[in-house]
Amino acid sequence: MAGEILVPTKGGKASDDAVTLACTLARSRKSKIRIIHVIEVERTLPLDAELEPELRRGEEVLSRAERIGRENNCPVETELLQAREVGPAIVDEASERGVDLIIMGIDYKRRFGEFELGKTVPYVLKHAPCQVWLCREAAG
Amino acid sequence: MNIIIMGCGRVGAQLAEMLDAEGHHVTVVDTDPYSFRRLPHSFSGSAELGNGMDQDFLRHAGIEQADVFVAATQGDNRNIMAAQIAKHIFKIPKVICRIYDPIREEVYRTLGLQTISPTTVGARMMKEAIERQG
Amino acid sequence: MYIIVIGGGKVGYYLTKTLLAEGHEVLVIEKDARKCETIAEELGSIVLRGDGCEVRTLAEAGCNRADMLIAVTGHDEDNLVACQVGKHKFQVPRTVARVNNPKNANIFEILGVETTISSTDLILAHIEHELPTHPLIHLLTLKGIGLEIVELKIPADSAVVGRRIRDIPLPSDSVLALIISKSKGAQVPGGDTVLAVGDEVIAVTKPENEPALRVAFTHT
Repeated sequence: MAGEILVPTKGGKASDDAVTLACTLARSRKSKIRIIHVIEVERTLPLDAELEPELRRGEEVLSRAERIGRENNCPVETELLQAREVGPAIVDEASERGVDLIIMGIDYKRRFGEFELGKTVPYVLKHAPCQVWLCREAAG
Repeated sequence: MNIIIMGCGRVGAQLAEMLDAEGHHVTVVDTDPYSFRRLPHSFSGSAELGNGMDQDFLRHAGIEQADVFVAATQGDNRNIMAAQIAKHIFKIPKVICRIYDPIREEVYRTLGLQTISPTTVGARMMKEAIERQG
Repeated sequence: MYIIVIGGGKVGYYLTKTLLAEGHEVLVIEKDARKCETIAEELGSIVLRGDGCEVRTLAEAGCNRADMLIAVTGHDEDNLVACQVGKHKFQVPRTVARVNNPKNANIFEILGVETTISSTDLILAHIEHELPTHPLIHLLTLKGIGLEIVELKIPADSAVVGRRIRDIPLPSDSVLALIISKSKGAQVPGGDTVLAVGDEVIAVTKPENEPALRVAFTHT
């Protein structure tokens, strides 16, 4: 099965694992991998504002993902996006490119003693047109 | 003095009672007839049912003869709009506007409205009370 | 242009859609969570949930770089304040407000806010305003002769209940044309006709006598 796997990444252990998982899957499915990092731009700035530190960090996150791809013998395409909100940006990208699968790594985060999923993951789960796999890091 | 008070809540009614007792001619306006229950039996002014942002109604309530207009409803924006109508359309010499939101109050103070923020005043008084106890 | 629209009701939604189609950057500020969700689902990440009259919300919306602010909520006072805050706190070059009550147009003008008045809004506002609480409904204006036809419903606590029409003082230039009662149906009123609770009176009057007519039939 050909097609494309979309891996939105924000850097960190969970994102690394998601990329590794995508590589394993892509090899068996003969899929392509597209890795994106979305920079959220505040409304006080235009959408195409050049946010130096965020851009630099985004580039680092993406080159790290590329390296993981190389280590797994799996070529990956990467793209840096700017958007007002991460969730809709991921869903838009998935819809426009007609990807088959989104794989996202998520941290195990607690806030005020409660497990918290944030707002991006629930948004993607609710709105993505394709399959979505979550890859949660170990607790603790 | 001829005084119109918009909003017959606790503050509006008490202010009306005080001014009435001092011999001023007070007209209280409110959109809710039930609010007028707050006026004491001794109140000798008038109570008019209607919207204080409506210019025709304000005329009917006697705004053209008023010396003072007080906007004291629960809604900041309603107070702001009515106060500006009183000041700019009817040229009432003294207009006082209650604005709960301190930031909005600052905006309209710089625009020349005479404003009172119960939030700021209340917080300051409580702080002073704490310091006095100290 | 970057345009901020305050109010995500019907007017705000269609306005936003049009502005987006024209290629502008648009942000809608809306208080109601459900309306926000609907707009976001249909038009994308162009909604901010919050009170568009609040300085903090407008700051988050990037009002500092807005070329225009358009306030289209159903409340004139909210539209006025949103425009004034945008203008004076954030120096937005152009502010436009939807004026629901045309009587308010003058105060907006004095305060330097551009206005748009929609006749549909006007009629709707009128209906909403008249129906639930006021016993007088405006039915028709007879153009040219300065008369109008109105309908009055006799409230339970009205002083005219049980009285003959000849004993009710009517304002000048006012004629009762028809009485519709539950028991007797439609009848042409005579001096001896007695009014009952819930009767509907169709009357012809001059617009300036409308309030007096309402008082005549509803005072307690």
